[in-house]
Amino acid sequence: MKLSGGRILMESLLENQTDLIFGYPGGAIMPIYDALYDYKDKLKHVLVRHEQGAAHAAEGYARLSGKVGVCFATSGPGATNLVTGIADAMMDSVPLVCITGQVYANLLGTDAFQETDMIGVTTPITKWNYQITKPDEVAETIAKAFYIARTGRPGPVLIDITKNAQIEKADFKYPQKISIPSFKLPGKPNDNLVKQAAKLINNAQKPFLIAGHGVIISKAFNQLKTLAQKADIPVASTLLGLSAIPSSHPLSMGILGMHGKYSTNVLTNQADVIIAVGMRFDDRVTGRLSEYAKQAKIIHIDIDASEINKNTIANVAINADAKSALEALIPKISKNEHTSWLSEFNRLDQIEFEKVTTKELTPQNNKIKMAQVVNMLSDKTKGRAVVVADVGQHQMVTARYFKFQKNNSFLTSGGAGTMGYALPAAIGAKMAQPQTEVIAIIGDGSFQMTIQELATIAQEGIAIKIIILNNKFLGMVRQWQDLFFDKRYSFVDLKNPDFVAVAKGFYIYGEKVTSYSDLEKAIERLLKAKKSYLLEVEVEKETNVFPMVPAGASVEEVRLE
Amino acid sequence: MNITITIYSENKPGVLYRIANLFLRRKVNIESLTVSEIKSEDRSRFTIVVKEDLSLVAKIAKQLERIIEVSSVEIHTDNELIFKDAALIKISKNPKVVKKLDSIISLLKASIAYQNDKYIIIEKLGTEEDIDLLVSTLEPFVKETVKSGRIALPKNGQ
Ligand SMILES: Cc1ncc(C[n+]2csc(CCOP(=O)(O)OP(=O)(O)O)c2C)c(N)n1
Repeated sequence: MKLSGGRILMESLLENQTDLIFGYPGGAIMPIYDALYDYKDKLKHVLVRHEQGAAHAAEGYARLSGKVGVCFATSGPGATNLVTGIADAMMDSVPLVCITGQVYANLLGTDAFQETDMIGVTTPITKWNYQITKPDEVAETIAKAFYIARTGRPGPVLIDITKNAQIEKADFKYPQKISIPSFKLPGKPNDNLVKQAAKLINNAQKPFLIAGHGVIISKAFNQLKTLAQKADIPVASTLLGLSAIPSSHPLSMGILGMHGKYSTNVLTNQADVIIAVGMRFDDRVTGRLSEYAKQAKIIHIDIDASEINKNTIANVAINADAKSALEALIPKISKNEHTSWLSEFNRLDQIEFEKVTTKELTPQNNKIKMAQVVNMLSDKTKGRAVVVADVGQHQMVTARYFKFQKNNSFLTSGGAGTMGYALPAAIGAKMAQPQTEVIAIIGDGSFQMTIQELATIAQEGIAIKIIILNNKFLGMVRQWQDLFFDKRYSFVDLKNPDFVAVAKGFYIYGEKVTSYSDLEKAIERLLKAKKSYLLEVEVEKETNVFPMVPAGASVEEVRLE
Repeated sequence: MNITITIYSENKPGVLYRIANLFLRRKVNIESLTVSEIKSEDRSRFTIVVKEDLSLVAKIAKQLERIIEVSSVEIHTDNELIFKDAALIKISKNPKVVKKLDSIISLLKASIAYQNDKYIIIEKLGTEEDIDLLVSTLEPFVKETVKSGRIALPKNGQ
């Protein structure tokens, strides 16, 4: 049967179990939207208010549903508005298929109205991209797009479809097999390397596990826990590795890196064996590379061969997905105990507790600190909500103080640090898990980057809990200006709108708290609300986030004040 | 150090763009580039020469392998390879050079590709140094020289 390219796209999306699309229409994608009109009951479409929101919402959906996130945008400005979200997904290995409309094939290269070369623009920020100019390419290309987005290390794929290819008809036959001869599937963990890794771990006095996003992506939660427990190994997490192991687990040592814990940073440079699982030794994790864990033997498990030896040299590198590598490793690991090594973590945690944590959590003069909000929220939800944090001080405070009990319950923009991520990502997260409490924690600056998605929330009638931690500053930049630029506060203070009134304008109920004594009740009202709810919390203006490994310093130079 | 990167890929449009993009990101200059089709397999071979640290090139090679259309990447130092460039050298048909031409050509292993009453075009396959030597021997009669990028094969199997 002959179908239009637009209809073939719908059929192909259904073949890939797509049930939700985030998008925004326009001229060059209208035939696709016209086809979508007939598929409304099978393919739900969420109309965002800016294409960046569509990409982040698709990211949130992908990360919590385990499916590939799908978004639509028109050519030119619609497509370029997706770019930030695509770059974000590339950095954080999130599987997306982004469909962009394009001018008619016969106009390509002529600077036609709303023609932007999206293949050129997105080549460095996609796992793969392709331009379709004929309807008979649609089914096979979409099949490939989904396969590539979700297989191996996940990532975003962009498919640009010229308008004629959306309108013209072709025979629809969905390919049963996808042939990409050059596609490199990650291998099985190499036996010999697994043995070498096991030997290092079994002989280690001070072994140290680092869990990255790869643990979450490959759902290696049990394997991580089993390995840690069997050999009695402390586990630290990267920013995106948080919630790979419950925070309450006795071997969970919390976050490491720039705003990680004192213990995890200092002891990185004392461990004798580091087992890095599904992480990529980002500079925010390693600090000054030349002084990073030089004493340690490094076992690096990663699905992406190009991550191995990219930043640090591994003594043993297992190029496989985290779950299969850990499964291979566990039977070869002997039971062990590392009591005195573990007590080192506790000793340093105690120092951090005295120097930082107590100060941040103890109420003073009825002002509110970010840490108090997150800590209270964590207690009240028993750490069982899905938390979506934006970018800045509030993000680091959330990472430090929320005690994640559920696996894969923390979404944030890690590699790219994209302000504006949280609100749209929370929409995707909530739509992936409608029964789960989804809480977005957002700075006053970040909120204004994608604030228009409040309208999307209202239109969809979904219940997202939004906490604005308002310090009236671009806080993280102010912190750097305070610490490293002689307190020269250059363009970081914000005259903000009345956020509660803004929310109200979007038909979302909200309230504002300014004093500590009102905080608890306000959080309770937020959590009790059946609908979306915005809580603006006026927090102390000039609190700095510690511990901190200053950029370019060694991890052991982590500062407590 | 000269490093030769050999990239095998699907024979599809846009692969060169993706490859070049990676070199751009790493700010590595491409000294020479040859692309050819492997007809029997519908694949392409890119032979790229860069002057860089082996360790950096090894990282780039792994990143090149992330390109979906790329099936494999090899890197070699010069001593592991037989490598050649091709050159065409156009000289004026001056009696002074015509007289010596036969002996130059046979000594420096070149040959005449074409001639008319004004010009002679000489072809030469060899290393860059071989070609430079031939060109300098033929100066000042050389009108124009064109060189190809490197083609290379490893001496041993991989
Ligand atoms: C799109 C984007 N622009 C700029 C930055 C740089 N930046 C990082 S944190 C930050 C301040 C964030 O301010 P706010 O959202 O108010 O959070 P706070 O740090 O005050 O908690 C800025 C400007 C960024 N990460 N992303």
